[in-house]
Amino acid sequence: MKGRFNGFIILSLVIAVSLALLAPPALAGKKDDTLYVAFEKELENVDRYFNTAREGIVFARHVYDNLLWRDPQTMEYKGLLAKSWTWVDDLTLDLEIREGVTFHNGAKLTADDVVYTLNWVIDPANKVLVRSYVDWMKNVEKMGDYKVRVHLVKPFPAAMEYFSGANPIYPKDYYAEVGPKGFGLKPIGTGPYKCVELDPGKKYVLVKNENYFADSPKGQPSIGKIVWRTIPEVNTKVAELMTGGLDWIWLVPKDQAQKLAQAPNLTVVAAETMRIAFLMMDAANRTEETLGIKNPFKELKVRQAVNYAINREAISKNLVGGQSRVVDSACFPTQFGCTSDVMKYEYNPEKAKKLLAEAGYPDGFEVDLQGYRDRPYAEAMVGDLRAVGIKANLVMMQYSALREKTSAGKVQLNFQTWGSYSINDVSAIDSYFFLFDPMDMTRDPQVRDWINEGDSSIDPEVRKAAYAKALKRIAEQAYWVPMFTYVSNYCFSKDLNFVPNLDEVPRFYLAKWN
Amino acid sequence: MLTYAFKRIALAVLVAVTVSMVSFMLIRMSGDPAIALAGENASPKEVEFVRQQYGFDRPLVIQYLEWAQRTLKGDLGESPYFKQPVRDIIKTRIGVTMTLGLAALCFAVVLSIPLGVLAAVRPNTWLDRLALSISVMGQAMPSFWFGLIMIIVFGVMLRWLPISGSETPAHFVMPTIALGYYAAPAFMRLTRSGMLEVLASDHIRTARAKGLRWGRILFKHALRNAIIPVVSLAAVQLGFMLGGSIVIESVFALHGIGYLAWVSIGRSDLPVVQAIVLLLSLIYVLLTFLSDLLNAFLDPRIRVK
Amino acid sequence: MEAEKVREGGFEIGLGLEVVFPTPGQIMQRRMLAHKGFLIGGVVFILVVLMALFAAQISPHDPYRQDLAQRMIPPIWQAEGTWNHPLGTDSLGRDYLSRLFYGCRISLLIGFTCMLIALVIGTVLGLTAGYFGGKVDLAVSFLITVRLALPAVLVAIAVVALIGGSMKVVIIVLGCLIWDRFAVVLRSSTQQIRSMDYVSAAKAAGCSVPWIMIREIMPNLLNNLVVVATLEIGRAILLEAALSFLGMGVMPPTPSWGLMISEGKEFMLFDPYLITIPGVALFILVLGMNLLGDGLRDVTAPEGRT
Repeated sequence: MKGRFNGFIILSLVIAVSLALLAPPALAGKKDDTLYVAFEKELENVDRYFNTAREGIVFARHVYDNLLWRDPQTMEYKGLLAKSWTWVDDLTLDLEIREGVTFHNGAKLTADDVVYTLNWVIDPANKVLVRSYVDWMKNVEKMGDYKVRVHLVKPFPAAMEYFSGANPIYPKDYYAEVGPKGFGLKPIGTGPYKCVELDPGKKYVLVKNENYFADSPKGQPSIGKIVWRTIPEVNTKVAELMTGGLDWIWLVPKDQAQKLAQAPNLTVVAAETMRIAFLMMDAANRTEETLGIKNPFKELKVRQAVNYAINREAISKNLVGGQSRVVDSACFPTQFGCTSDVMKYEYNPEKAKKLLAEAGYPDGFEVDLQGYRDRPYAEAMVGDLRAVGIKANLVMMQYSALREKTSAGKVQLNFQTWGSYSINDVSAIDSYFFLFDPMDMTRDPQVRDWINEGDSSIDPEVRKAAYAKALKRIAEQAYWVPMFTYVSNYCFSKDLNFVPNLDEVPRFYLAKWN
Repeated sequence: MLTYAFKRIALAVLVAVTVSMVSFMLIRMSGDPAIALAGENASPKEVEFVRQQYGFDRPLVIQYLEWAQRTLKGDLGESPYFKQPVRDIIKTRIGVTMTLGLAALCFAVVLSIPLGVLAAVRPNTWLDRLALSISVMGQAMPSFWFGLIMIIVFGVMLRWLPISGSETPAHFVMPTIALGYYAAPAFMRLTRSGMLEVLASDHIRTARAKGLRWGRILFKHALRNAIIPVVSLAAVQLGFMLGGSIVIESVFALHGIGYLAWVSIGRSDLPVVQAIVLLLSLIYVLLTFLSDLLNAFLDPRIRVK
Repeated sequence: MEAEKVREGGFEIGLGLEVVFPTPGQIMQRRMLAHKGFLIGGVVFILVVLMALFAAQISPHDPYRQDLAQRMIPPIWQAEGTWNHPLGTDSLGRDYLSRLFYGCRISLLIGFTCMLIALVIGTVLGLTAGYFGGKVDLAVSFLITVRLALPAVLVAIAVVALIGGSMKVVIIVLGCLIWDRFAVVLRSSTQQIRSMDYVSAAKAAGCSVPWIMIREIMPNLLNNLVVVATLEIGRAILLEAALSFLGMGVMPPTPSWGLMISEGKEFMLFDPYLITIPGVALFILVLGMNLLGDGLRDVTAPEGRT
């Protein structure tokens, strides 16, 4: 028996060693002109009209083209598949389509493709996931081989934004033939990269499009091949980066990113994003009815106390790090219409306690703080609140569950974040939270009216004035606690020349080897 | 024998139906699928639109019956996220999980049964204590920790093994050890205690007195009896590994159905979750059936009712 | 072997001298003291319980007090460590030693209560299934299979979405989820024992079913029961760690070893002390429980009894 056991050990060792020898060597990216990148979330469907996650946007920017293009540095709009455009009137937009562009399967881009794609996605029967991308358009008319006319449903100042960010053009014949199902397995676009291998959710391989049209403002792609993998565990991603199995990762937690920055073969960039973190409070006083409990947040002084209690500077500097900054207003600082000329609440726990006592809560109170992401930040907030006597119980749940609860008016203190979908306009954030929609925990008719004014006007000065009034009132009424901006940590090989953008969309078609 | 088989099949069907009903209810309780599908930035109008388009606004019973009807015909439906038939999605991912589960079970059995026998044969010696410590490590270590430690040691420091993915057999070495190690302690302890009891029993003493070879006694007589609770546990463990390997699959980026189930539950992707739950429940029934057969084979006393 | 020795120690020697047989209680005591494993396990268990009871007295700091300027200080055995925080601080600047002591309470509470709930459910089911066989067995097998086929994660998410997370919820959810091993193991052991001679004898003597179950079968199941029970405590605590990580367990800032372990995962690569410290504590606890369980079994039912 002893002999059998020993023999067994030897056998296992032999097997282990031989398996190890079968392990493929880690490929260095620059040597074979292949960029290995990893994302944490699976991208199940590469059809831009049927995914809502950031990974979908990234894929789309590389494999497809939109009609317009927004410069990531200057925020200016330029023509991409459209050569030029003219507003005939508030409800009509004419676009001239560029000639000489071909799809990855060789088909030539014409007005037919634009008309087909847009009319198809406008049609509700096709169940496009994000209606707001398309339901502002009534239909699209063909005016010539390279000319189209878009009819709007209502005046829509953000039309340029959506044409540059949201609506890629697909090849008519191919899409009509294979439909979204086939397209999801084999996508065809006009973009700087072609998708040659696709394992839905697991792995994508993109190769440089040698025939990418020369006039594109996106430039010409430099890196030959991109291998995109999904790795859910952050430590595994980092381990792969350290051993050369990956060349680029993002969303690295601050502490790890700082340590990685010390590695001689890695570059770390802690870039700011458009996402902001904020607390919403039940100012509309719905929870007294829906939950039958006392609602301290209907008092202005309580809301102000919470604003004074949170040490936003400390969280921003120590937990988020990098280029994060404190925000004082219910918007991201560069967004059109945003102003920080509002009432500010500095970190002052003593003042917070005083205000609580004045409001009738000298010993504080107990409350549920609901959140759906970034638990460490939420924990820091809980700690700050605790120090002024507010016993916050942290309750984390899935985004969809929290959203349902908020809609039902069952949340008193809500830790939310918003990326504005990288749209640089106040309408991309405040219109979701102050227009008496489900996520509106404030329900202030004055704020609603001002924001509506800003949303529906075309005159930029009118818009700015209206938004400023709304933001001032939001701050002085302490409806929110605007806290800080998010930072995304990018870690990549020193061989790679990569520049991150504010909109959190990595553009590998602009990257090159050093 | 025929009635026995008939009873088991009826049981299987009943289990499948019950499980599918319960999981359907649970998924709906855990979140609104329309909000999950429409995405974070969707307006209420958009959410409502998605809700109607995908039929989430109909009464729950109707939704369940429609799913049941389709499934009986063999159509597992389409995932609104993948926009592909659920059958295809599962087909591409189940291979990995099956491989991992079976390999891990083999590893666990191969590691723990000899250890358990050794410990029983030399009770309360350093060998016994060593075996105990190894088994305790398996219980007290979170599986993600063990997995990540292995990645650090064998992947980063020694560079012997690939870290993530499932392309080659070498990719499965660390995940198998991580998953199997976690299951080994139960086997080891049960084997040991079972062997201890059996070895002290009368008919073993008789066999020794008769002068039978030690090895023969161990394997032919003692192990056969000690192994019975282990066999039942093995069936349970395999089922657990198939359905609960999500941590290992996540750490090693293996993209099996464990991870798929977790992600789909998180966003209320009903067709996928229902399909996976149904599949797993059928596998469990099969496994318990097989383990009962095996037990009956090993211990004739059980056969006689 | 030990039993024989004691028996040896009590015999009559000639010359009118009598050696008194030790009482059963004294025998037990001697066995306990002689069994090294039992002693070690017992000591560990007592230490842990003391840590939990006197956490408030022995902790140098308030485990909830956060100080973002003092975050991520490593423990004393690393270069930047300080005696002010012997085990360092966590990512929010809270003292780790204090959190370890307070966490003892939570983890012990969770581990034990979950295990007890699971034990009760699983034993009742496994015992009845193994003894009665037939329809009862089918019903229990049905329940076990349904329980195993349902992903535990799904149940947890749904329950939390409905009720919200809290320690009570965790304990109930876990207790109702981990009874399967008890049931399965006890069912097959009962099946084995059911056909033994002494059971048939009891049946022939006309003993009632509950009597047989409790007096004849249960004592023989205790071996396996104790083994599974000691395993399940560790499993419960680890499951709590997993649930905490998913945001469904004990709520922060409550310290619990499970929560500390899962939160430490993010820092595993470069600051492993955050995970190692509660991990080692958990290891010692589980090892102690196992030694204690084994020891208990050896001491109360030594080999030879079938």
